[in-house]
Amino acid sequence: MVLLASSSEETLARWKRGVSDFPSTHCLTGLELLKSELVRLKPGILLIDLDFPGLEAPAGLADLMNLSPKTRIVILSPALSDEAEWSLFKAGVRGCCPRDIEPKQLKSVVMAVQQGELWIRRTLTCRLLDELGVIVREKNQIKQATSNLLANLTQREHEIARLVGNGESNKQIAQHLSITERTVKAHLTEIFRKLDVADRLKLSLIVNGSIGAHEQM
Amino acid sequence: MQPVTVAIADPDPGIQTEFEHSLQGAQGIKVLTNVASSEGDVVNNRRLKPRTSISPIEDAVARVRRLNPRVLLASLNQCIDADCAMLETLRRECPETLVVLLADETVREEQVMQALASGARGCLSRESAQYDLSKAVHVVERGEAWVPRRLLGKIMDEVRHWCHESSAEVSLGSAC
Repeated sequence: MVLLASSSEETLARWKRGVSDFPSTHCLTGLELLKSELVRLKPGILLIDLDFPGLEAPAGLADLMNLSPKTRIVILSPALSDEAEWSLFKAGVRGCCPRDIEPKQLKSVVMAVQQGELWIRRTLTCRLLDELGVIVREKNQIKQATSNLLANLTQREHEIARLVGNGESNKQIAQHLSITERTVKAHLTEIFRKLDVADRLKLSLIVNGSIGAHEQM
Repeated sequence: MQPVTVAIADPDPGIQTEFEHSLQGAQGIKVLTNVASSEGDVVNNRRLKPRTSISPIEDAVARVRRLNPRVLLASLNQCIDADCAMLETLRRECPETLVVLLADETVREEQVMQALASGARGCLSRESAQYDLSKAVHVVERGEAWVPRRLLGKIMDEVRHWCHESSAEVSLGSAC
């Protein structure tokens, strides 16, 4: 099911020619009707005019996505700057194309987006890769930093930290390691001091951020 | 207009031939040489001595720097960590050289994403390379990326997820 939303009958007629192979319906008037149709129909794709009354993209897109999280949104608009189009994708749209797109190409867009693809212009693809690179480097830095922190722990402290990360209580840890609860608490005090954390929740976050499932201690 | 200079970084002669065959007759592309030659390079009739006293990554980067290709073609292997280390080094040391990867069916999408995050600007399957390689070279040369749309979708999901997590951490910090 493809839902079309535009305040222009002419635009809708053009889009309809492109999606004639798919079950579709359209929405001419306001945002409230669009929202109720989204909830009622839960369409796979929403093709929406960037200038749809009341939309106020990109901020306004969040409301639509919350109403129907599985609906993939494609924005149709006049030519946008790279920055403006990028902000739409960051807000969660799955495609951006010209409002006056040829029906045949609109069909390609719908099919691609239905299959999980992103319909984004090539001039933005490098930006996407750059952001991915930044994210991966940040994640690696965090992982390295937490590894460095954990390297300061003794083997016993490491064991206890791992068990805290698994959600075990002091009593369970004591039983697991055949030591007293008092000893566990003493170790934890030292662990908290070395890692400069105040509680087991933060310790868990550090441990689980740093130690992969495949690693053995 | 100057042709796009392309170098191939693969020790496997079969893959090198595959790349060269795919680019044969392609307009606007000049294939330099195989950067990964283990017996030294021959560039303009000068034989460059193999350098054995440095690491493979340093050696490959040195070769790329000497050849200075605009696009470097390389196959993506199962040894993803080594490949990513190479890509990161190239990104830092030879930023003007853009890397396009060829991945066979054994390479998983997550590994391709890792390679793209490390600095590759394009990736195509061995199957599609015979039709699309020259087009990919030109697209990447002009500053765009050559990545399957489906993978772009996954990358955008990752970017949005991280931004959401970062925002949540900031809120948690503020609340504390």
